[in-house]
Amino acid sequence: MHARSWTCQTGRKSHPRVRPWVKEKMSSAVGRESFKKRKVEKLQNSKVVAEDDSKRIKANEEEGESKITGPNTNKSSNKKKETSGDTSKENSKVSDVQKPDYIHVRARRGQATDSHSLAERVRREKISERMKYLQDLVPGCNKITGKAGMLDEIINYVQSLQRQVEFLSMKLATVNPRLDFNIDNLYAKEVFPSCTTNFPTVGNMPPELANHPPYVHFNPIQQVVSDCGVEMGINSSDMALRRTISAPVSIPDASFLDTSCFTGMQQIQPSATWDVELQSLYNVAFTGSIEASGLKMEM
Amino acid sequence: MNPSSLKSRFTTRFLRALTKINAHKPISSSSPGPGEIFQRYRRIKVAADKSMAYSVRSRRTWSRATLWRLRTRSPRSRLATHARRSWVKTRSTRAASHGKEKKEDGGTVEAEELRELVPGGEAMDLCNLLDETAHYIKCLTTQLDILDRQECTSREL
Repeated sequence: MHARSWTCQTGRKSHPRVRPWVKEKMSSAVGRESFKKRKVEKLQNSKVVAEDDSKRIKANEEEGESKITGPNTNKSSNKKKETSGDTSKENSKVSDVQKPDYIHVRARRGQATDSHSLAERVRREKISERMKYLQDLVPGCNKITGKAGMLDEIINYVQSLQRQVEFLSMKLATVNPRLDFNIDNLYAKEVFPSCTTNFPTVGNMPPELANHPPYVHFNPIQQVVSDCGVEMGINSSDMALRRTISAPVSIPDASFLDTSCFTGMQQIQPSATWDVELQSLYNVAFTGSIEASGLKMEM
Repeated sequence: MNPSSLKSRFTTRFLRALTKINAHKPISSSSPGPGEIFQRYRRIKVAADKSMAYSVRSRRTWSRATLWRLRTRSPRSRLATHARRSWVKTRSTRAASHGKEKKEDGGTVEAEELRELVPGGEAMDLCNLLDETAHYIKCLTTQLDILDRQECTSREL
């Protein structure tokens, strides 16, 4: 049993992606490769080599086998076994392989091997790669397969995020006529041992933030705060921080918004966990008291 | 947390903008009128978007588009908006035709929707669009996180 490792370099992109494709069970695959001998002969000029079994190879990738061997091993190990009489093709393959700045892509069985479809397949793989990454970003997308469903989820998520931003900024507009805000925010993320002199009650930091390094960039905010002449109430920052850490979207109090502004938001059908949070948010807003009754918002 | 991370950059900018907004508004004891609230809401929202876009600078298409949009909001630059729209149109038709040639026609309807959502997404092919969307989602969640913290703490005090 011999193993073949190909390096796949894409010279066009800004992030060259090296794909070590390691095939372990070549014996079973050799027979399957015979189909493309004829087609590859046509492609000698295009300098593209077709390969099947990419799925298994991807599985090997994920297992952590990243054997990036030089192109020399290719010609030595495999050519003799799989090609029966196409010596000319082998030579062209060898010459192809020895120029590593070309795309070496393998076509699957029964698929076309011309450069257009190969390029398209590369593009499709890029897209599916990005969809996987997005699947991790968007919560609750693990069960959804297929591009259309994923895209729908993503669209819903982005829409709801944008609406959340608008909602929160509206809340900030109504809730906060005062100027005492910012330092607690920064405390939520960084620990500033240098500012303990300014804020004597700063000792009640949440313990989980104690590991963060001091944050020198704090100075502009300090100046801003001193300009406003603000008195910081640090004592409540603990509670606020714990609450924000535990439930990012929680509104126990009433909101001041008109109910009509939520009719647009309500169309989101909650299916994932973040939707549920949002739904509870809307429910609270509906049952809450409304101070600015005449307020109509364009969302 | 990294002092030069996206989160901290955004926070400093946003809080600076918030103080400016609050300084403008007179601190009235009674509840402000709805128009005033709406105005403040607009300003805060713009401040949030602007801070986020500035924190990302021009490294991303969506941030560039957002900054451009924010800069040319005023009616005096109608020429600029017209120019941009025609540029976007040519690029988007090119990108759309390029994308629709491929077999992935099922995804173009949603892709169009996504393009509308993500700022600057009109003139991108699907691959870059997904890239931008991922970064955009990350930044939106950061923005929301800080807005929420801000709102909670200001409510506490």
